Amino acid sequence: MLKVEHLSMVYPDGTIALRDVSFEVKEGEFLGIIGLSGSGKSTLLRCINRLLEPSEGKIIWNGRDITHIDQSELRMVRREIGMVFQQFNLVKRSSVMVNVLSGRLGYTPPSWSLINRFSRADRALAVAALERVGIADKANNRADELSGGQQQRVGIARALMQQPKMILADEPVASLDPVLSHSILGYLEKLNKEDNITVLCSLHFLDLVQRYSTRVIGLRSGKLVFEGGKKDIAEISDSRFKEIYGEEAQRLGVE
Amino acid sequence: MTKGIAAPRPSLLHGILSLLVPGLGQFVVGARGRGSAIFASVVVLGGLSAWTISQKARFPDFSLSFVIFAKLVFATGLLLLFLVALRALVSRFILRDASLEAFSAYGMGILYFLALVVAGNQILATAGSAEQLAFVFGGTALFAAGSLAALWLWNVADAARIGGAGLGGHLPSLALPILLVCLLVFSLGYNITRVDLPKAITEYQDISILLPRILWPWRAAFAYDQEVVEETQLIQAPCPDGAIGPPSNEPQAGEPWISATPTCGEVGVRAITGGFEPGTLLTITGGGFVPGQTVNILWKNPIGNAFRPRGVGETEILINENGEFTSQLNIPDVVIPEATASGDQIHTLVVRQEDVEVFGWRFSDDMKLALVGMLETIMMGLMATFFGMILAFPISFLAARNLMAPIVSPLNGIVGGIVGLVAGIWLGSELAGRAAEALGGLANAPIQIFLIGAVLVIGLGYAGLTLAGRLFALMLERLGGAANDTISAILLAAMIAVPGYFLGRGFSRGVMSIVQGADIAAINEQNFAYAGAILLAVLTLLYAFRNRGGRGIPIGSIIYTTTRTILNILRSVEALIYAIIFAIWVGLGPFAGMLALTLHTVASLAKLYSEAIESIEPGPLEALNATGATRLQTIVYAVIPQILPPAISFTVYRWDINVRMSTIIGFVGGGGIGFIMLQWQRLYQWELVGIAVWLIAITVATLDYVSAEIRERTI
Repeated sequence: MLKVEHLSMVYPDGTIALRDVSFEVKEGEFLGIIGLSGSGKSTLLRCINRLLEPSEGKIIWNGRDITHIDQSELRMVRREIGMVFQQFNLVKRSSVMVNVLSGRLGYTPPSWSLINRFSRADRALAVAALERVGIADKANNRADELSGGQQQRVGIARALMQQPKMILADEPVASLDPVLSHSILGYLEKLNKEDNITVLCSLHFLDLVQRYSTRVIGLRSGKLVFEGGKKDIAEISDSRFKEIYGEEAQRLGVE
Repeated sequence: MTKGIAAPRPSLLHGILSLLVPGLGQFVVGARGRGSAIFASVVVLGGLSAWTISQKARFPDFSLSFVIFAKLVFATGLLLLFLVALRALVSRFILRDASLEAFSAYGMGILYFLALVVAGNQILATAGSAEQLAFVFGGTALFAAGSLAALWLWNVADAARIGGAGLGGHLPSLALPILLVCLLVFSLGYNITRVDLPKAITEYQDISILLPRILWPWRAAFAYDQEVVEETQLIQAPCPDGAIGPPSNEPQAGEPWISATPTCGEVGVRAITGGFEPGTLLTITGGGFVPGQTVNILWKNPIGNAFRPRGVGETEILINENGEFTSQLNIPDVVIPEATASGDQIHTLVVRQEDVEVFGWRFSDDMKLALVGMLETIMMGLMATFFGMILAFPISFLAARNLMAPIVSPLNGIVGGIVGLVAGIWLGSELAGRAAEALGGLANAPIQIFLIGAVLVIGLGYAGLTLAGRLFALMLERLGGAANDTISAILLAAMIAVPGYFLGRGFSRGVMSIVQGADIAAINEQNFAYAGAILLAVLTLLYAFRNRGGRGIPIGSIIYTTTRTILNILRSVEALIYAIIFAIWVGLGPFAGMLALTLHTVASLAKLYSEAIESIEPGPLEALNATGATRLQTIVYAVIPQILPPAISFTVYRWDINVRMSTIIGFVGGGGIGFIMLQWQRLYQWELVGIAVWLIAITVATLDYVSAEIRERTI
């Protein structure tokens, strides 16, 4: 479904964020991406939907090279790929409903959406999405009145509005406490299993990766240093671990 | 003050270098920035001081004042050196320990200052005639020179110290020289702004009469109902033999009356030589008038002309508490015209009381005028804010770096876009012209035509920009390969050549005609125009080829920079100055003021809005981008909700400023209260000026409060 080939990314200030990363994602996978902060996880996810322009390499989405397509075509691709963020990235002053509906903008004719008009079907879809993440009763609250976990659920509902084939989740639980982490990842897992939405999710904690991913890739200083299935993660040796997380890292939280 | 145990020996060489050229010693040691700063300060401030003296004294040439100032610096420098030496001697021989200091650096400073005050005239005398110099620039030049001398000497000491110690340690503090520079600038400022404190005290009386009227002007704000009572008594004059004159009036009960005796007499005679013989003395009594107020006595001659008799008795009489009065009056000199000189001459004595009813007050016409002016002012501010807000809002997006910087367009898109934009605007204005004709001309339906025109021009321009950009890119894609980049580059160069042509022509008209004279420049005008076109075209080509295959042209950044520059220029000119221009353009009155304020408001609100946009959280923007929303959609859903509170706050604040500005914009013909106030001021109607001042103060203070409240609530 998604193929990343020899992807490299150099920021304008010269920081090399990704070096020659290649991997493939099959439909229905829950791909965990592990690595330290600054290892390039976020950059990788943002290169996939071209929020960041990669410097080299190819991104192939459903057999089509999308690395250089123009803005209008890119929008068509982006609306098939939902995204969930570490900081939720909700518009705090807008209502939960508007935040969720804004996930539908890629499908709405611009002129209508500019005056805040969404079709009945879109509104129904938004209610359904909110129900799915269990916060339909908060639809008219302002986004910043919600707790962190609830905000992230709004974020997921917004991604759901795109009726996506794939969801990119950039550290979706890093700003939440561990109990909520399972709840949020549980929703992603549900979408993955029930709706067959492919999920790419970057995570900090190995136990979370073990619990939720079907496959894992590991990044270190922008390089792909690990790739393996669920079993491989469980059997990561200390030396392997240090390869991914660096010499000074300590294992922690592994069951 | 801490003293190093082994303080390095100061370097004489560097000290001398800095004595000759300030800052040179430091520069040689390697403290380049410090050296240059010292040099620049001494040269600029010294030059400015000398120039100020020459301007004040109206010396015919600059060098004279320069010499005088140099002498002053030298003299004060010697004074300071003397004090420094004194301090060293006292430390050495009286305290008998070189490491002890006679007094601190601050003590030195105070001593130096006192010495300048005490020996001021003597020092001035060394530079020129003390009286003349003192008259021209008082003590300020002395202190300017003294500060400069101290700065210079500090610089020598500093160079010697740095030269001895090298750059290894950290450099000595700059607090002292900065203080000296401030002192110097202060003395110059004191001189240039002509501070004259005694004047503020001795000439207070000039304002003391006006001030109460300005501060408490309300008498002029009201008018009162008046009742005029006029009672008459007929008098015959001259009085022929046997005539008895008209009858004397009888007293009346309950209503005003007057009576006079006798009622027949002789008129006064004014001789050509200047003597005056008054006429018969009349005794006037009256009653039934309003007590406590005055009555006026008038004389009406036989043909009915009334005047106030002069020099024949009281004409303004106070009524007693019973409403009565008694007075005496000689019959004035009345020239009786020949034509009517026959028969009995019957004059009329008039007693007139203007009864002012205090409780029947209403606003005076002037007050009404002031209120109308104030309303005009408030509305002017309001309209300017409204239009400014509407125009500034879209512009602010172009001036927001975070929105514009990511916009990068391939060359093809830009070429097509420019063509489309120009074509769209042209088409839009053509259609707007047709629409205007259909609606019966601009004068007939101005608002409709403006709105239709704006919609057509902006809409079609935007449509052209996007459509043509895409179309052209598609067309070239068909051609494929490297060819399309080349074609776009050439087309872009050709397009840029057009403004290049006009820039070249402008250069010829604006610069070359000044340098060469208008005639020669006119001959070469075409050449410059073509040169400009070719130059810009070539530069564009070079740029396009260098960026070939890159990420495209950072058109967003280019638009951002251009917009910001224009806004900055517009904002740096005050609305008052725009008002001068618009008052000529559209005539005196509030419209000119409103336009001026609008222009300034657009510039400043656009900047404030764009700063609000720049400080939004980028997260939601990114999130919406990721959903596949268009740029306009992300703006509506992610940007506007975030900037709304600060934008409201800024707008209200600007409204506050605009009303404040519009009170004085009338001074240059912009209408409103200022316009009226200026006229009153020129007529020396100080009470009316006072009313205007009060109204302005009340309005601005109210608005200040209201706007603060609104702003507090929106954030």
